[in-house]
Amino acid sequence: MTSLLDMQRMVRDAVFETGEDGPALAAISEHINPSNGFTAAEHLLIYRRAILGTLVRALAAIHPVCKRLVGEEFFDAMSRIHARQTPSESPDLGDYGESFADFIAGFEPAADLVYLADVARLEWFWHRAFHAPDEDSINVRALAEVTEPDMENIIFRLPVSAHLLTSDYPVQRIWQVNQDDWTGDQAVNLDEGRVRLIVWRRGHEMRIDTPDAAAWSLLSRINAGQSLGEIGTAEDLHNLDELLPHCVENGWIAGFELQH
Amino acid sequence: MARFPASPIAGAGLGLRSRHYREILDTRPAIPWFEVLSENYFGAGGLPTYHLERVRELYPVTLHGVGMSLGSADPLNFEYLARLKKLAEQIEPAHISDHLAWISIDGRHVHDLLPIPYTEEALVHFTERVCQVQDFLGCRLLIENPSSYMGYKEVDMTEWEFIAELVKHADCDLLFDVNNVYVSSQNHGFDPYEYLQALPGDRVREIHLAGYEEQDSYLFDTHGYRVHPPVWELYRKTIKHLGPVATLIEWDNDIPEFEVLVDEANKAQKVMSDRETAA
Repeated sequence: MTSLLDMQRMVRDAVFETGEDGPALAAISEHINPSNGFTAAEHLLIYRRAILGTLVRALAAIHPVCKRLVGEEFFDAMSRIHARQTPSESPDLGDYGESFADFIAGFEPAADLVYLADVARLEWFWHRAFHAPDEDSINVRALAEVTEPDMENIIFRLPVSAHLLTSDYPVQRIWQVNQDDWTGDQAVNLDEGRVRLIVWRRGHEMRIDTPDAAAWSLLSRINAGQSLGEIGTAEDLHNLDELLPHCVENGWIAGFELQH
Repeated sequence: MARFPASPIAGAGLGLRSRHYREILDTRPAIPWFEVLSENYFGAGGLPTYHLERVRELYPVTLHGVGMSLGSADPLNFEYLARLKKLAEQIEPAHISDHLAWISIDGRHVHDLLPIPYTEEALVHFTERVCQVQDFLGCRLLIENPSSYMGYKEVDMTEWEFIAELVKHADCDLLFDVNNVYVSSQNHGFDPYEYLQALPGDRVREIHLAGYEEQDSYLFDTHGYRVHPPVWELYRKTIKHLGPVATLIEWDNDIPEFEVLVDEANKAQKVMSDRETAA
């Protein structure tokens, strides 16, 4: 008798195989009862359609702007290829889609839409921020009590919901004018230059903020785990005394610890 | 054995869906309990958690999941179970349920409830895993029968025999999905009443009702319609047989106005009340 493990591997292989005359579908068909006027393969194909449909719908739910930009048919075909290629590694469907933006970046038929991958990244970060755990804001009093020799050992951290995104295209503007409730000007200038965004949630409020280049540089270094001592040596950050309070006030810095 | 302070559930409950949060909290409808899809609240923050906590202050809830993959030959996912346990400790559900199915193999998840071959090997494996999960969570699990669109050639028993054995060996409870039994009986050609008669009825703690979709020549379990007449008929027989077990109206696709769900719940409630009157 076929083991449970082997049976499940055969089902999986047939589910993610392309076409209806492949070896995996033939292999599992040997083990499925034809019934109700269906061949063994047709039974399995019901699951293939359902499973790919679920993954495609999950990607569409997270990336509504991308779907709107390329149209339903294109999005469906593109996400179906991704769903076949890219296993879902978590039992929580909400965890699926992390590498979709990278996939789009290399997806030849979408190459003309140069901004599409970054829009997908923005939508993924929005999704993650929406579902991120709650947290308190930074303990400013404790921060003020850190004394001089310990200062350079401070390691700040961004909000747990925060994701930094930079793009050569105005992805925030593209995202904004493609919201269902957007009634303003639809014009987007693709040549307006590099944008730097922090996508995060403050309490229940979703935010896409636009730090300037200096603040962005600081936040990127914090995100990379640099200590305040290391950040202080950065050549592009000569104004930390103003930058740090500015980032704290905006909520972009959510906590700190002392490096030992 | 139950570790979480549980509010008992009875009567016809509804699935908690985000589009109805506002209405539920504003109007506090006379619904006896809500079922919560566990994985939707694994983020542990933001608006989903906020709304769940508000609803929980007003109603008993149950936790229903699709992620345990109890039938998989993979090792149990304790990271998943830890998230579930944390959620359970936070909202104190009346009980926790998942499915007689597998959703993953070699770590790849299909997010659809695939049937297992009802073999002796699978029974031993499934039993062991239910026991492990119950030990970990500190409460009995409810196991739900899936709707299925394929059956394996190499089996040692029927689905209902498998379930009866599972209950005996794992000491678990059951969630009897009337719609799923009807869908599977039509797709595989068995008698749903035979299934019902064979159930260890004293272990059924909850019933599910939903609307299937008629495809070319099979029934597909989409949870996107009102409950169909033959399922109501089977439900009446189920309630007659089991007594007024707490019943959920499930609706996951094309989720309608809240009042449509209430209307379906009222129908289920009437079936339960009629049975009480007749008894």
